[in-house]
Amino acid sequence: MTIGPQSPSGIRNPNLPNETAAAETARTDTTPPETITRPHMLHRRSLLSLATGAALAAGLEPARADSTTQSATAFVTKTGSALVAVVNGAGSAQDKRQKLTSIIDQTVDVDGVAKFCLGRFWRQASPDQQQRYIKTFHQVLVSNITAKLGEYQGVRFNVNRAVPNGEQVQVDTTVLRPNQPPTDVQWVIGSPSSDPKIVDVVAEGTSLRLTQRSDYASYLSHNSDNINALIAAMQHQVEANQANG
Amino acid sequence: MRARVRSLRPAWVLASLLALHVAGCATPPPASDPDALADFKQTNDPLEPTNRVFYKINDVLDRFLLRPAAIAYRDVVPEPVRTGVHNVLGNLGTPVQLGNDMLEGKPRRAGDTTMRFVINTTFGVLGIFDVAKGWGYPDHDADFGMTLASWGVHPGPFLYLPVLGPTDPRDVFGFGVDVVADPWFWVGKGAVVSDLGYAKWGLSALDARSRLLGSLSAIKKTALDPYATFRSLYRQHRRSQIEEMENDNRATIPVWYPQPKPAQ
Repeated sequence: MTIGPQSPSGIRNPNLPNETAAAETARTDTTPPETITRPHMLHRRSLLSLATGAALAAGLEPARADSTTQSATAFVTKTGSALVAVVNGAGSAQDKRQKLTSIIDQTVDVDGVAKFCLGRFWRQASPDQQQRYIKTFHQVLVSNITAKLGEYQGVRFNVNRAVPNGEQVQVDTTVLRPNQPPTDVQWVIGSPSSDPKIVDVVAEGTSLRLTQRSDYASYLSHNSDNINALIAAMQHQVEANQANG
Repeated sequence: MRARVRSLRPAWVLASLLALHVAGCATPPPASDPDALADFKQTNDPLEPTNRVFYKINDVLDRFLLRPAAIAYRDVVPEPVRTGVHNVLGNLGTPVQLGNDMLEGKPRRAGDTTMRFVINTTFGVLGIFDVAKGWGYPDHDADFGMTLASWGVHPGPFLYLPVLGPTDPRDVFGFGVDVVADPWFWVGKGAVVSDLGYAKWGLSALDARSRLLGSLSAIKKTALDPYATFRSLYRQHRRSQIEEMENDNRATIPVWYPQPKPAQ
């Protein structure tokens, strides 16, 4: 995010708090930027002084936003490189799974994602079920990521841009796999400056955790909302995927 | 020959729609369970039992016909040729794309599509090479379902149709309009033309399926309920296509006129 001296948002709202400014520049924002005063309608001098004032007032805020997006970008670059190194590297499937597990443990907010995926059933689950569910979810995550990444060799990725969105930062990347069209993958990073963790991965506009959540919701609704049945099915799935290599 | 197939196709879609209405509907949960009712409404899939039947039929067709054919296509035809085929098919679709760009009120997208058609048909040798992309005219999605969305039409309940797969009433209608709006649909008659028409449909299916080989098998492997997963994925994907189109508000100001700074 850049708020330059000539930038419309800089002219419009020099005093807005950073969060609002960030939300305004986020891609999901639908407010048309047409409410700004057209530059050519102002006197050149007043425009200049306005712009300078805006730049001064906004000077400190973008710096903070920049450092947030920068740390998120750095985090995605580091995590992505680590993942790619494992996927492209030599080693048995067992070996790779172990390495992926440790990367996931360090970089993904597994508990948060797990809770999100269970939706309203999280509250209905007993503490014991919650604990077993989170444990199984962790295995599912590793096994799913292995299944998605495992087949590919020669994966590369480019980090494009980072957009702050509330407390989180979305980092856009392009994943390039041989014999496959390039895929746009967006990483949603929670608490980017203090303890960055992956909260969601959005591939071609489809959110991984949202998809997982609807999968579980549908499974539960067809199994009389039985959380134990869900956990058993998840375990079964992990075992089946492990058996397949 | 092809004319008969053409007139059959809408009739077939209609028939399957009728079958959908006759066949079973999902029973909503009782009002005493507001959470479940909210879920049911959000899922918006009142024809789920019927949809699941068609999902199974399509799954069998895919397993025994389309997927093996796509694997063969991928393994036999070298990558550059497949890319060329994909590009040619895309180039043939530009008239419909352009119409939709204009109906969506997206002049810059319409400009991109026009430039892509002109550049790729000439410098790109009848569309085999996507030269335009490198020259600053990237491709984008446009179809009549998206156009309807830009006019405020809601997608309606989820549908899973034979052959067509995951969709909704808005997109089924949009698909029909796109088929009829395609100039190639109206070009000439005769054995050669109809053969080319079949070749185009067949290649489109192979091209689309072969590009999804990895992701579809991964989804089937990792989903507890693949049907529900595809339902969610289809909707999310459509929403993101529509959102991307609606957020594409690049200005159309002549180069010699003072340019506003692009909103980041």
